[in-house]
Amino acid sequence: MSPFGKNGFEKGMNCRDLAPLLVFYVCDEVNEKERELMESHLASCKACSDQLAEEKGFHSALVSTPQSADELDRSGILLSQCRSELEEALDDLSAPPLEEHWRPLGWLRRWMALRPAWSGAMLVLVGILAGAQLVPWLQRNSNNSGQAMNVRAPQPLTPEQLRNMVVSGVSFSPSSGSDSPTVQVQISAEQPMVLTGNADDSRMRQILTQVVQNSERYDAGMRLDCLDALKAAVRDLQVRGALLNAARKDQNPAVRMKALEALREAAGEDDVREAILDALEHDSNPGVRVEAVNLLVGSLQSEAPSADAPATPEAPVVAPAPTAPGSEDFEQVVKVLQELQRRDPNRYVRLRSAAALRQIGPREVQ
Amino acid sequence: MQLSRWALALADDNGCSGSTNAAPVSVTSLPNLDERTLVAEAQAGSRAAFEELVRRFDRDVLRLALNLMKRPEDARDVYQEAFLKVYRNLHRFRFECSFYTWLYRIVTNVCLDHLRRRQARPEDQAPELIAGRHEEGITDFFERQREHRPTLDPERSMMGQEIKARIARAMERLSPRERVVFEMKHYQGLKLRAIGDALGTTEETVKNSLFRATRKLRNELGGLR
Repeated sequence: MSPFGKNGFEKGMNCRDLAPLLVFYVCDEVNEKERELMESHLASCKACSDQLAEEKGFHSALVSTPQSADELDRSGILLSQCRSELEEALDDLSAPPLEEHWRPLGWLRRWMALRPAWSGAMLVLVGILAGAQLVPWLQRNSNNSGQAMNVRAPQPLTPEQLRNMVVSGVSFSPSSGSDSPTVQVQISAEQPMVLTGNADDSRMRQILTQVVQNSERYDAGMRLDCLDALKAAVRDLQVRGALLNAARKDQNPAVRMKALEALREAAGEDDVREAILDALEHDSNPGVRVEAVNLLVGSLQSEAPSADAPATPEAPVVAPAPTAPGSEDFEQVVKVLQELQRRDPNRYVRLRSAAALRQIGPREVQ
Repeated sequence: MQLSRWALALADDNGCSGSTNAAPVSVTSLPNLDERTLVAEAQAGSRAAFEELVRRFDRDVLRLALNLMKRPEDARDVYQEAFLKVYRNLHRFRFECSFYTWLYRIVTNVCLDHLRRRQARPEDQAPELIAGRHEEGITDFFERQREHRPTLDPERSMMGQEIKARIARAMERLSPRERVVFEMKHYQGLKLRAIGDALGTTEETVKNSLFRATRKLRNELGGLR
């Protein structure tokens, strides 16, 4: 308890009561009642008066001592410095913080900066988790999508689009079973795209047919690739038209030969047979003519049993079913082959024609 | 002893229960605005008003800091830290006491923190102690200025330095709070109640601190006259 906390001086103040109050008396921190009692006692007590004098002397010596502030900043330079520094600090506080606009994960960075050991451990853990989970997930994901991009636009291409497009690449991937091979076509157009599908896809047929029909825009290799792909869609009238056209008019004999080969499935059709006969009579390339002979023989041989056997359940999809060749057609085929056998400039063609006549000979007898 | 304006203001202040009456803002010049208006303006975001407040009181703040810390660099830190605290927390000031009291409370708390930190570091000593022991090793600019003043009476100066060094050594024995109370009472001229308000404690506690501080100094300094 404080020695000067209570003013219990009802019976006056004695030396013992006064002593602790002298400190406050000299610095004017006693109340009126205390002052009155102290002065009353001091008037009659020399010992306490001497003590007061000593206290006053001590106090006076203390307060008269030069203060640090008087000496340390007499010139005011320090105050000036302090003001300048404060203004700079206030400028910093007032200015909008540049990095505060966008600080993603700022709290995490601060946390990590203050705890390097924990941060290192956390990064290692994150690395392990990423390696254990993310990499297998990526592998699974990449296995699921073999194609770089699979765009299947539902709308057919407009003639304008077909005219403006440029096919920059065609590639095949073998299909399982009897399905037609999968084709991937890279197209450079206003919107570059990669189409993946097979000849059953109408858009794909459109594009492939467009390539086959434009020998001046696409090289022979690409036309050959497209013919390969279109082979499965020979029943489509548009495709067949393109194939027939290519078989007759393409500048490249390999393409013409490939077109004939692509028409093999429909070799019994009248329009195809006409094209074959045209090739036999007019194509300048012996290889094309040989291919035409082969096709003709093949078609006649395949038709021969159909006359005796019941019709096959595999009816053509688009084109009408091949009709049994009439005697006029057959005679025309024989006539053309005989012409080839006699007059074709190429010996192999002549030999092949002779062999073909022999092959179809029994039919002639029938 | 020259009392600071703070001392006079705090002596008349009724502590945190009182408040100043705001005069209507009719004067556009900031130096003519009263304290309450300036504080309100500063709270509304006026940097100029805040700087005017700083200029009104910063001389006394630095003086208190210098007297307590005894080192210009420490006093500078206290000045900066205290006013930045005021700036950041000004919106919390509710005029429940005078701005003087509130500011003084912040400054003394910052000083106390610095003194406590210094006390925890034995290598830190008051410059007066160093100066007293190594007179030739004075490196501080302000110290050099003082030493080279030609008008100072050499004998008196020497005695003054002797007493000052003794007082400084004795002051080092005090606790930070005792030191602050003693300083505020004897060198800032504050009333004990005002010191209590500034330190956020009671007058009775301040009284105890002052009594203990005086007794310790008496024991250390003996017959100082």
